[in-house]
Amino acid sequence: MAGGLSPAAALATGVSPRAARRGSPAVWLLLGPPSLVLTLLFMLPIGLVLVTSVTDPRLSLAHYQRIFTVPLYTHVMLNTFVTSLIVTALCLVLGYPVACVMARRSDWVSTLLLTIVAMSFWTGFLVRTYAWLVILGSKGPVVAMYQALGVGGPAPRLLFTSFASTLGMTHILLPYMIFALFAVMKKIEPDHLKAAASLGARPRAAFTEVFLPLSLPGVVNGSLLVFVTCLGFFVTPILLGTPRDMMISQLINQQIEELLAWGFASAVAVILLLATGVILAVYNRFAGLDRLWG
Amino acid sequence: MGVILALLVATFLLLPIVIVIPMSFSTAISFEFPPPGYSLRYYAKFFTSEEWLEPALNSFVIALGASALTMLLVVPAAFGYVRYRFRGKALVNLLMMAPLVVPHVVSALAYYGFLARARLTGTHLGVIVAHGVLAVPVAFLVISATLKGFDRNLERAAMSAGAGPLRTFFHVTLPVLRPGMLVGALFAFLSSFNEAVVVIFIGGRGASTLPKKMYESIRLESDPVIAVVSTLLVSAVVLGVLASAFLRRRPANAA
Repeated sequence: MAGGLSPAAALATGVSPRAARRGSPAVWLLLGPPSLVLTLLFMLPIGLVLVTSVTDPRLSLAHYQRIFTVPLYTHVMLNTFVTSLIVTALCLVLGYPVACVMARRSDWVSTLLLTIVAMSFWTGFLVRTYAWLVILGSKGPVVAMYQALGVGGPAPRLLFTSFASTLGMTHILLPYMIFALFAVMKKIEPDHLKAAASLGARPRAAFTEVFLPLSLPGVVNGSLLVFVTCLGFFVTPILLGTPRDMMISQLINQQIEELLAWGFASAVAVILLLATGVILAVYNRFAGLDRLWG
Repeated sequence: MGVILALLVATFLLLPIVIVIPMSFSTAISFEFPPPGYSLRYYAKFFTSEEWLEPALNSFVIALGASALTMLLVVPAAFGYVRYRFRGKALVNLLMMAPLVVPHVVSALAYYGFLARARLTGTHLGVIVAHGVLAVPVAFLVISATLKGFDRNLERAAMSAGAGPLRTFFHVTLPVLRPGMLVGALFAFLSSFNEAVVVIFIGGRGASTLPKKMYESIRLESDPVIAVVSTLLVSAVVLGVLASAFLRRRPANAA
């Protein structure tokens, strides 16, 4: 165990209760090196992006001005925002019943659902994106079914549209939503619902008056997680979507890959970082971030 | 009614797994479903082509290196964070969680610029550093949660029975915490193994991993071998999930 020595050193002073006092040198021995590494190998690179965004090619705020005034780029920002909202809403609508059944039953159905969601969760983004490429492709099952129905006319183009990219992202982020909802729902006491029923509430009323409000923290957590992840989603929009309806990550990729425009790409990244930061800060103010991943 | 809805959504989640497996046995030269015929030719191609085996090997090497780095950073940090009160605790927490808060595409751009300056793009070391740091939050969550649940009386008992601090650590603390540490390391490993964004930016030719190779293969050539890789990855996930469900059922293994 490579980290063995330092915890042992901590223990030397850490076992007795007085070790919890402030400013013990052991705490800096333990936290100093990891904090230094994270500062140098994470905060510094991020800081360099900030610097690049206002210095490349020369010192100015011109990149930011372009992002907010050129229609092409304002469209990208708006499109990212709207797409993320749609994906979040779809995940919520699809995920809620699954999480609900998972939390409220304790039979084979619940086990089966949990297993399927976990499998989906752990399957890599690339595998799932590839699967959608096959399903929606011109030689895929959807187009084949369309032709078999004989409605006539050429089959609609599904791949490389914002429909495909929205569907792919929804599919990939759905397990995150379900787990966030499930974490809150499984803590709701079944007795609350029984109490509501014994007081004369019908199942529907017991659900809307008791279960639904108690599950709201899960709704907020899941939606936030999905929305924030979606804002910066990279692989799926590039492989399934279209450059005509770009998302922020596609713009960053295009600026770097095709134009080597480091300054502009950095400015776009800073905007994305700020948007994410503001959303999480608001959440932190009202709920505490620890609850999001806790 | 709710159950049927839930099962429908679950089917939607399962679709890709269902589609990828028959695709891997296909004879088609492009992405075609249902397959026109079945063969093992793309399995043969995967297991003989350097082009795919090298990224596969890189994936394992990088994920191992990254999870080692993550543990090296997280284990001492979690001990310090959980067991002491000190000024700036909230700041340390923010620092540990920062890689989770920053969108991956931003981290990718940042590492691209940073590692290019250090001439480390396209090297294993560069990707290991980035992946190791990016997995810190998830490992930190798991390991600090394990530490918070640790009963310090066990250590006090060992000490009062005459064990020194080192002996106590290696014979009491570590064995009790081992399952949590293993889970933390496993999460770090998987986070690196599945990571696709940062490695696409910084992996270059020298340190391409499976997700990067799949990404390029889809973009450039639609190579059906990707179905084989997907099937192998899906099988690993299915086995892993079933094994963990099986272990969780047996109370003796409840960790």
